[in-house]
Amino acid sequence: MEDKFIINFTLGDTPLHQLTGTTKVRFFLCLIAFLIAVWDIRIILPLLFLFAAGIVSTRPYWKPIRFVFTVVTLMNLFNLVLFFLFNPTIGEIWTGTFTQFGSISGRYVLGYETLWYFGVRFSKMMATFLLCMAFILSITPSEFAAGLSSLRLPYRFCIIVELAFRYIPDLLRDYKDISVSAQARGSETDKRKASIFRRIKSSLLIIVPLIFTSFSKVGDIANAMDLRGFGRLKKRSWYSERPPGRADRIVQFVGLLFLLATVYFTLMRLFNPHNPEMWYPYNDLTTYNWRILP
Amino acid sequence: MTVMDGGKKPVIEFKDFSFQYKVQSKPTLFDINLTIYEGEKILLLGPSGSGKSTLANCINGLIPVSIPGKIEGSLKVAGMETRDCDLNQLSALVGTVLQDSDAQFVGLSVGEDIAFALENMNMPRDRMIPLVEKSASIVGMESFLNHLPYKLSGGQKQKVALAGVMHEDVRVLLFDEPLASLDPQMGMIAVDLIDRICRSERKTVLIIEHRLEDVLYRPVDRIILIDGGRIILDTTPEDLLRRYDLLAHGIREPLYITAMKYAGCNLDEEDILSHVSGMTITPGNRDKLIHFFQKEAPSSIEAGKEELIRVTEASFTYSSKLPNALDRVNCVIHKGEIVSLIGENGAGKTTFARMICGISRPQAGTVEIDGKSYLTLSIREIGERIGYVMQNPNQMIVKSIIKEEVALALTLRGMSEDEIDKRVEKALRMCRLYTMRHWPVDAVSYGQKKRITIAAILALEPDAIILDEPTAGQDYHNYTAIMEFILTLNRDYGKTILFITHDMHLAIEFTDRAIVFAKAEIIADSSVFEVLSDDGIISKASLKQTSLYTLATKIGLEPRQVIRHFVAYEKAVRANGR
Repeated sequence: MEDKFIINFTLGDTPLHQLTGTTKVRFFLCLIAFLIAVWDIRIILPLLFLFAAGIVSTRPYWKPIRFVFTVVTLMNLFNLVLFFLFNPTIGEIWTGTFTQFGSISGRYVLGYETLWYFGVRFSKMMATFLLCMAFILSITPSEFAAGLSSLRLPYRFCIIVELAFRYIPDLLRDYKDISVSAQARGSETDKRKASIFRRIKSSLLIIVPLIFTSFSKVGDIANAMDLRGFGRLKKRSWYSERPPGRADRIVQFVGLLFLLATVYFTLMRLFNPHNPEMWYPYNDLTTYNWRILP
Repeated sequence: MTVMDGGKKPVIEFKDFSFQYKVQSKPTLFDINLTIYEGEKILLLGPSGSGKSTLANCINGLIPVSIPGKIEGSLKVAGMETRDCDLNQLSALVGTVLQDSDAQFVGLSVGEDIAFALENMNMPRDRMIPLVEKSASIVGMESFLNHLPYKLSGGQKQKVALAGVMHEDVRVLLFDEPLASLDPQMGMIAVDLIDRICRSERKTVLIIEHRLEDVLYRPVDRIILIDGGRIILDTTPEDLLRRYDLLAHGIREPLYITAMKYAGCNLDEEDILSHVSGMTITPGNRDKLIHFFQKEAPSSIEAGKEELIRVTEASFTYSSKLPNALDRVNCVIHKGEIVSLIGENGAGKTTFARMICGISRPQAGTVEIDGKSYLTLSIREIGERIGYVMQNPNQMIVKSIIKEEVALALTLRGMSEDEIDKRVEKALRMCRLYTMRHWPVDAVSYGQKKRITIAAILALEPDAIILDEPTAGQDYHNYTAIMEFILTLNRDYGKTILFITHDMHLAIEFTDRAIVFAKAEIIADSSVFEVLSDDGIISKASLKQTSLYTLATKIGLEPRQVIRHFVAYEKAVRANGR
C-alpha cells in the first residue's frame, strides 16, 4: 500500500526520520520563510544541494518522486517562459543594469541580467520543491499532526490531517468496489467505447453510492472518537511525538537562525529600499539605476 | 435479578427506564429494569431492531449526549446518573468496542490507535507508552505496534479496538456485535479473548449479539433477551435453552439443540445444555439421537448436470510483486446449483467470484461460460449472464425510487421502454417488491434494500447470481427471509446461486455444495456435510467445527453421517414448512 505513495505511514530509521514531528514542522516552516525572502544565489545553491542530499538520505522509493520531479521542473520552466513573455527585461528590475546580447523580435530582447534572474528564480523554486519533498519524505501524517499542534494550532484541526490519511485508502477501496459493480450492471467507463458525456453520466453511478457509504461511516468514526474521549480537554498529547533528542535541539536552533535571517532580510528591505534586490557579481554601481521597489 | 448473590456491587442499574429517539414518534426502549453487578459477564440477546444496541448506547453515554432523545426513569453507571454525566466521565468507566472494527480504527498505526484515549486525556507520552504496551500485550498485539491498519485482519483490528478501550479505570466493557465481521475461527478466538479478559482483568462484560451458539462457546453468567424494546427474559443460559422458544424472538438456537429437538430428546433430563462438550447426554436421549441419525436420510434433490461455468487452471494476481490471489483453480458450476464459496478473509473467494464475473480476468488458464471462453466478452456482457450482488446494498443503490433502481441496468443498455417495463415488473414481482415500486429507496429496511439490489440484478435475467455475504449483520428472522427468497429464485426460476459466506449455518442449511478456499487455492469442492466433517479442511480454511460434530462424537456416531442427516432433515423440514 504505502510504496505506491510518496507519503510514509511508517517511520524509517534514517537521521531525518528520527527527528521529532515538531522539529520537522518547525524547521520546514522556518526554511520555507527563508527561501521566500532570499534572492541570493550564493545562499540558494548550497541549500538546494543540501535538500537534495536530505532527500537521498531518507532512502525513498524513487518511482513516484521521479514523476513529481519532472512535472514540477516543467512547470517551473513554463513559468519562466511566461515571465519572459510579460516582461523580457525583468532582470533589470532586480539587478539594476541591463546588458543586451541578442534579440528575438521587437521588444523581446535577450539580456544577461534576465538570464541571471531566471537562473536565481529557478534555483529558488527548485530548492523550495526539494525542501517540500524532503519534508514529506521524512514525516508521517501522525507526526505532522503532532508537529502542527506544537505550533499552538487547535488539535481538532491537526487531527484532520491524520484522519484524512487514515480513511483515504478506505475510500479508494470503496470506490473500486462500487465501480466494479457499476460496470457489471452496465455502466461503460472505457473511453474507447463511450463518449465523454456518457462516461460522466456513468461516473455518477459510482459517486452517489460512494457518498452514501462514506456518510454512514462518518457517523461510526465520530462515535468511536467520542467514546474514547476526543475533545474532552483543551489540550491533547500525541503518541507519535517522541521526546526530542540532541539532534532535535540543534536542528530547531538552526531553524531559528534561519528565521532570524529572514526577519533581518525583510527589515533590511523595508528600511533600505535603495539597495539592489539581488546579488549580481557584474553589477557596475556607477551606472546603477536607483529604482523604487514596487 | 436474583441470579447473582446480593453481596456484589451493582455497576449498572436501570430503573423504570425508557428512551425515545428525538426523530421517532414512539419509544425504542420501555420499562427497563435491570441490574448488572461487578464482574458479571452478560449476553444481551435480541434480533435486529430489538433495541439492544440502543440499550448499549444508553450505557456508554452516546445516548443522550451524542444521540439526542428523551429519557425517563433512571440509569446509573457506577452510581452516577448518566443523564447528569458528560460523555467523558462515562467513557472513562465504560469501554465500547463498536461493530465496525474498521471505522473505529482511528489511528494510523496499532500503537497510535490504542493510545487514542490516553492522548485525549493529555497524558504525557512517557506514561502513555507503558500503558499502550500493557494493553497491547493483554490482547496479544504487542508485536504489531507499528503496523498499519490496512494490513490487519478484521480480528486483529477488533483486538486493537479492545486494547484501545481497556485502560485502567474502565470497569465495564461493551461489545456491539463483536462477531459480525469475523470468520468462524476468528469469532471463536474473539469469544475466548473476551472471556479471558473478563476473568483476568476483572471487568464487567456485556456482549450484544444475536449469535447465541457462537457466544456460548465460552460461558456467560446471564442472558438478557430483548425484543420490541422490552426485556423479555433475564436468566441463565441453561434456563433459556431449556424453556424458551428463541425462534419466536428471531434468535437461532444452537444446532445441537435443534438436532436434539428433531430427535425428540427430553431436554429436561440434561443437566447442562449451554455447552455441547460439557453435556452428559442421558442414555434415553442418546438412544433417541442414535435412532434418529441412523434412519435413512431423506434424499436431496439432484441439480441438473448441464454445465454453466467452467474454470480451468485459472490464476490471478493483483500485482506481479504479490503472490497469486488465485493459484491454478479448477471447478465446474452446473445450471440450477446452489454453491457456497467459503474460506477465511483473503483466501481468494471474493477474487474467484470477481473472476467469474469478468471483473478480474485470469492471467493464466481459462473461464468458460456455456462452453465458450469469456475472454471476448466485456464485463457488461458477462453481467447479463452472471449477476454480482455486493455485500453492502448502499454500495450499489444509485437511484432514489425503487423502480428506477431496478430499471437502471436496462436503461443503461438502451432497451425499449416496453421491454424495460416488462422485465422490471417481473423482477419486482420475483422479489415481492412490486407493490412498493414507487417507494423511495430511503424508506425501506436493510433487508428490503438487499432485495432491491437483487431485483436490479435479476432484471438483466442472468443465469447465475453471485451473492457476497447475503446475510451479514442480519438476525435470524431477516436471515431466513432473505434466504427463503433466494431459494425461491433457485427453485421456481431455476437460477444458479453462488454465495460467498463465512456463515457455516448458511452453508449447512441452504447449499448443496461447498467450494473451500485457502491460501489462493481450492482445497475442497464437495458436499457441505463432507467439508464440515473433515478436520483437515476445517483447520486449513479457518472454519469452525459445528456443534453437530461434537454431538456426533459424543454419541459415538460418524460426524459425516450426523451432519449429512441433519442437513437433509433441515431441508425436508423447510420444504414442508416449519
